[in-house]
Amino acid sequence: MSDYRKPLPQIQPFSEAFWEGTRNNKLLVQTCSDCDARIFFPRRQCPECWSTNLGWTEASGKAEIYAFSVTYEGVEAVFREDLPIVLAWVDLPEGIRMQTNIIECDPDAIEIGQQVEVVFRKVTDEITLPYFRPVQ
Amino acid sequence: MSLAIIGIAELPTKRDPERTRWDMLSDVCMDAIRDAGIDKDDVEAVISVNPMAQAQMALDMALGRVPEVLGLKGCKDICVLNSGGTSTTNCLRLAKYFIDNKQARFVLIPHTTVQSDIPTEDLINFFATAPLDPQWEYPYGVTFNGAMGLITNRYMHDTGATAEQMASVTVSLRGWGALDPNSIFYGKPVTLEDVLESRMISTPLHAKECNFLADGAGAMIVTSHEIAQELGRPAAYELGHGVRFTGATPVLREDPYFIKAYRESSQDALAEAGLSIDDMDLRQIYGAYPFTQCSALEGYGVCEFGEAAAIWAEGRCGPGGDLPCTSMGDATGRGHTGSGVSMAFYLDTVRQLRGEAGERQVADCNHALITTSGGSVMNACTTIFGSAPR
Ligand SMILES: [Zn+2]
Repeated sequence: MSDYRKPLPQIQPFSEAFWEGTRNNKLLVQTCSDCDARIFFPRRQCPECWSTNLGWTEASGKAEIYAFSVTYEGVEAVFREDLPIVLAWVDLPEGIRMQTNIIECDPDAIEIGQQVEVVFRKVTDEITLPYFRPVQ
Repeated sequence: MSLAIIGIAELPTKRDPERTRWDMLSDVCMDAIRDAGIDKDDVEAVISVNPMAQAQMALDMALGRVPEVLGLKGCKDICVLNSGGTSTTNCLRLAKYFIDNKQARFVLIPHTTVQSDIPTEDLINFFATAPLDPQWEYPYGVTFNGAMGLITNRYMHDTGATAEQMASVTVSLRGWGALDPNSIFYGKPVTLEDVLESRMISTPLHAKECNFLADGAGAMIVTSHEIAQELGRPAAYELGHGVRFTGATPVLREDPYFIKAYRESSQDALAEAGLSIDDMDLRQIYGAYPFTQCSALEGYGVCEFGEAAAIWAEGRCGPGGDLPCTSMGDATGRGHTGSGVSMAFYLDTVRQLRGEAGERQVADCNHALITTSGGSVMNACTTIFGSAPR
């Protein structure tokens, strides 16, 4: 039994492959085989052309910080042990922007435009969450 | 096609669990009907603002208790509408449909919210889960403040706005609130130092730049332009309306500051009204976080992108300024009453147009623009009101 108490992603049938990817330390980007859209977050059908002919491409794991915010308070009790939490929106060269946390960092030294790389944290047998950390 | 607000009532924003939802609701409904100068049995429809995080009250409203409790014998139908912060806007739109189609001469639109009897942890959970994605945002500890901190940080990066300029928005909003008996901050202005020295919640947002959850209630009576004129009472006349959707999830939006939504919704509303942005005597912006007070002005075309924070810092948008904005105080300057914030925005706009805003009265206020937003600004709903029909 995991002692992880924080909210876990509610996996949907069409996002199973994404979470299977993170379990294997791979960051997958959903792609549309008909219109070539890069899709985040994963959907049942392509939001551009409604195709269900969707696939996955493995991301390099590199990203750039588009925006960030360091949270010091106002979180639910289960998150308090993690404060301060660095929230970030990161741009992947594969063409998507995703919500994540920047970890293994000095929160005061984070900047917009900073280069970061994916790091996987296994939190339960089923869920491995993708985080990012500054490129050394 | 016309809508006029002829009766209003509001209870001061407070945290007081002794005031029950039904007591507050009854008080504002009776006062709004009296203010309109009509009989209670003249009300032919009740369209209620959905009270957020209060499931029982929402059900009571949805299943018809309001006209029963108030004994509104002429009421033909009821409805409760929910789109978060734009719920009141939806109520006005449905009321307009009833009025235009002669289904109702007078429509009552009430709101009540008590948050002070809800445990803090539950409120944090509600505001973290309601507007955020359970799979892609919530597991990362995103809160409402955190999501808005992300956008504010990038906005400051793109515009060069300083922490002092951003804090000045809150100083002006609290300046309005300090003069407003309906604000929880009545008599409590803040200085730039007060804002900048308050606790850091989610960078760059300090505690005083975030929302203080409170209780409130308000109600209005709406009718047609023609009936409002026959009654000969001071009213706010709707002259134009425009809307744009921006998206549900902040990280996915192509227009992170809602500039395009503010621009296009205001252009549609102004075109319908046959007016220009320069004709507005007051701009009321409901964005709940200070950067929206800036990006809205940039979207409306009041100034160029990147100039608005400096305009706020000069005090031009606060009390006594030459470009009065958001005399309602927004949630930051008045207290956040859930879906009641938009109700209070309309009520304050009516007061300004009727010349009843007391110390906050904007001189010669004959045209006002108001933008409301739901969720984490998933939409921008802009309406032009005038003190007279066109
Ligand atoms: Zn497609």
